[in-house]
Amino acid sequence: MSVSDLRLFEMRRPADLPDVCAVLAERVSRSEPTVLLAGGTDWLVEQETRPAFAKEAALPLVLDVSRLPALRGITLDGDRLRIGAAATYLDMRRDPAVLARAPMLERMGRDIGAIQIQARGTLGGNLATASPAADGVTALAAYDATLVVHSVRGERRIPFASLQTAYKRSTRAADEVIVAVEIDLPPAGSPWIWRKVGTRRAQSISKVALAGVAVREGDRLTRLGLGMASVAPVTALLSRVRTLATSRPLRDLTAADIDAAVDADVSPIDDIRSTRDYRAHCARSVVRAFLRDLGAPV
Amino acid sequence: MATSPPSTHSVGVSVPRTDGTAKVTGSARYIDDLPGMPGEIFGRTLRSTVPRGVLRGIRLDPSFDWSDVTVVEARDIPVNAILMISEEQPVLAEGKILHAYEPVALIACPDRLKLDRAARAITLDIEPLPAILDIDTALAGKDVIWGEDNVFKRYLITKGRGDAEGRAASEAGIDAALAACDVVVSGRYETHHQEQLYIEPQGFVAFWDDAGVHVTGSLQCPYYVHKVLKRALDLSSERVHVTQAVTGGGFGGKEEYPSIIALHAALLARKSRRPVRMIYDRTEDIEATTKRHPAIVEITTGCDRDGTLRALKARILMDGGAYMTLTPVVLSRGTLHAAGAYRWQDAFIESVAVATNTPPNGAFRGFGAPQTIWAIERHMDRIARAIGKDPVALRAQNLLRSGDTTATGQTLGLSVGGHACLEAALAESGYHEKRAAGPAVNGRVARGIGASVFMHGAGFTGSGERMLKGKVAIDLLPGGRLQIRTASTDIGQGTETVFRQIAADAAGIPVTHVDFAVPSTTVVPDSGPTVASRTVMVVGAIVEGASREIAERVLAEQAAGGGSFTEAGDRLLSREREVSCLKVYEPPSFIQWDDTTYKGDAYPCFAWACDIAEVEVDLDTFEVTVKNFWSATDVGKAIHPVMCKGQIEGGTLQAIGWALCEEVVWKEGLIKNPRMTNYIIPTSLDAPPFHTTLIEEPWPYGPGGGAKGIGELPMDGGAPALAAAIEHATGLIADSLPMTPERLHTLARTA
Repeated sequence: MSVSDLRLFEMRRPADLPDVCAVLAERVSRSEPTVLLAGGTDWLVEQETRPAFAKEAALPLVLDVSRLPALRGITLDGDRLRIGAAATYLDMRRDPAVLARAPMLERMGRDIGAIQIQARGTLGGNLATASPAADGVTALAAYDATLVVHSVRGERRIPFASLQTAYKRSTRAADEVIVAVEIDLPPAGSPWIWRKVGTRRAQSISKVALAGVAVREGDRLTRLGLGMASVAPVTALLSRVRTLATSRPLRDLTAADIDAAVDADVSPIDDIRSTRDYRAHCARSVVRAFLRDLGAPV
Repeated sequence: MATSPPSTHSVGVSVPRTDGTAKVTGSARYIDDLPGMPGEIFGRTLRSTVPRGVLRGIRLDPSFDWSDVTVVEARDIPVNAILMISEEQPVLAEGKILHAYEPVALIACPDRLKLDRAARAITLDIEPLPAILDIDTALAGKDVIWGEDNVFKRYLITKGRGDAEGRAASEAGIDAALAACDVVVSGRYETHHQEQLYIEPQGFVAFWDDAGVHVTGSLQCPYYVHKVLKRALDLSSERVHVTQAVTGGGFGGKEEYPSIIALHAALLARKSRRPVRMIYDRTEDIEATTKRHPAIVEITTGCDRDGTLRALKARILMDGGAYMTLTPVVLSRGTLHAAGAYRWQDAFIESVAVATNTPPNGAFRGFGAPQTIWAIERHMDRIARAIGKDPVALRAQNLLRSGDTTATGQTLGLSVGGHACLEAALAESGYHEKRAAGPAVNGRVARGIGASVFMHGAGFTGSGERMLKGKVAIDLLPGGRLQIRTASTDIGQGTETVFRQIAADAAGIPVTHVDFAVPSTTVVPDSGPTVASRTVMVVGAIVEGASREIAERVLAEQAAGGGSFTEAGDRLLSREREVSCLKVYEPPSFIQWDDTTYKGDAYPCFAWACDIAEVEVDLDTFEVTVKNFWSATDVGKAIHPVMCKGQIEGGTLQAIGWALCEEVVWKEGLIKNPRMTNYIIPTSLDAPPFHTTLIEEPWPYGPGGGAKGIGELPMDGGAPALAAAIEHATGLIADSLPMTPERLHTLARTA
């Protein structure tokens, strides 16, 4: 594809968040196609892979939200980290608060595409696309993050657990703009894992990826957040593993119990990137590895 | 006072690449960067969506506005045939469909968006037929799509007790030889498709004028395109003009296919009477163009208990795809490399290439050899296992030396560097210490090391060069400059720089005083194709000889009339108007080859190498990380050491990709991953630290003091070295490629 193959579209750069919400509400009410563009790393790919018949759909309106101050910035308020929806992965990787308090996000950010993609891609964009293979979204699942969305009706907060409903579907309304995500951080120095099993070391979509954060008191986990990419139609929260691992002392965890919980939590498939069997194997292996690091005898 | 030419030595020095600045700054213009010609329109190909069928018709939607759309069908083509080795492949399918993505019709239109709509307003009426999609089904022969038995080509190489009158007696002879051996080992080895994935997709611009047809595009071999256009368009030679644009990689993928896209553009231009631009996007390029032949190799060997190799019996099967294209030549090179770099008293090597309903497979760096070298090198590891010997010691014991004869009966003489390569790579890598220490396991990660040893024939097979008679012209230009006119193209590998170095040293002038003419069939002679590791060694030798002849004429003028080299040259030019030398390649006279018995000197010489890979395998996920890669390569003489190492390291990375991650995913004859995001090649981050040693055992007939061809060699040894390293780390024995984590996981489960 060259730029000349891009279908025609109208592009606007709205002045502020209320402007975006107003335009979006009006367009959605008339069923007019509208795109919120931040880094464009998903949208441009979609332009190339979209089915041919879609090429002559009504002229879409593209709203460039990448420079809206309301969507930018990363702030730490006590234990609450707020990341603007249009902050890039590179912003995240360089942010002192992220480095100090959410090192898993920084580590995950290194595995997104390659440096060029990291400089453009945003958490908000990946959340909007809602792909179960998105590494950034997987990390947010482990933090049990909250989405902050705005519309003409005002602000709404969506807990991660009630966000995704089916493959690339979410409970966010069509006229709602993702403004930020908020994370209630575990204490500094808490254990975490980011383990991506990809196709290569860069420009790689996860075959399986595990994000995990934990708070340990003695031989018990008092908090365990997990997210797993590419093993289900939505980002897997591994709720059975969470329940299992927080319900008993770490020393009482067995490999068999962990494997059974993982198997029940995921439903991988065969596709062009990998196989069901391999994904299931990796899912079990990486979860066991994290719990082993936390002190489980597995 | 007569002066000798300025003392210059550019050979052996890594001078700046002459194409480097333009490519790095982005000012180099590839075919799609060239500005549109007046009236230019865009062309596109309509292709079959099934692997096999009967083409009932092509229907144009009558409600569509076709007024500015040009449609070319088979009936519009003067001769509907692509002339390669045979000419059974149609330019556009007529009646029968033999593979998915087979071209059926061509369209062109000034408006690219309308071109999309026009493509959808055409219905290809194809009645599908059951397809032959693998080698076994083709060989079973229940359904025939080629000849009488789906076989494109067979070869048989015999030696010693495997050499008797006829195939049956030869086979009986080798079986008897094997039966008499202490240790007999058998194995079966498989390899898969590989896509060249040059960075620049294929593309051409075509137009017609009073002089005939002009095509400019991304290509390796201008005269291949010339030959195909001449035949299909039914034109005389002088009415076909083929010009190379700056070309962004080829690896063999731009050997055959440019003829097809150039012809398609030329046909659209002929019918529309407009210049036509055809540029493939990545998906069309991956789907439609040629790939490396998949192969199955079965090997049985006999040896003494101490590891001395005696007898080799091998059967090679290759999947040629739907049309013959270059398959017989690929199969030939694969067959000639199947015995590896080792001594065998007795040999029986037979090979068969079959037709399947998959897109035609074709040239790809190594040209059949990586497939058979994978097999013999994995087999050497299997023998080592069977007799309890170190795999490298087994190789050293049997590695060919000067004075030994190969499976074709070729007695090796000069420039036989196998042992030197092996010793250098072993020393550099610390192989023996690491091997002896066993796999280093750190938590859930195991580290291992493995080696391969191999040779690759440089230049055309057998009597190829003698028949081809490659030519180069060197012109004297004003100002003491030379111009090289050759059809050997620079496709990113550095030809134009290296040829300048060779010409400069031969003439005794600075490398900056040598020009390289744009390869266009109208101005350059036919030097033969840019293939077969022949560019530097063969064509470079013609450049050297012709440059020397021109220089001698200038020096004679200088001796007679005085002045500087430049002044003498200018005098000569003003007197004779044109001072040129058109030189024809003369292979060394002792090279003798018999094409009917497949005996004799298969190649003038071989380049040699030893690869050593060190890997880490994650024992949970089976991800393989290449930690270090040592390669010692006998190149004869490195004209440009940096680019020479670049060839070796780039080729090795391509081998690493083939071995570990590249895989064409097929479903019912269609490719499911025709994109760079899901056809996985290594990135720069996946490239290991390379430790590359150049060994120089000069080949006296090569240019610059003894250069040999090394373009393909580095593709040969990576996969088996990696497999040996993975085996060392994990105990997993992979005999099939690719060694993806998924396949290693399956191996581990079934072990």
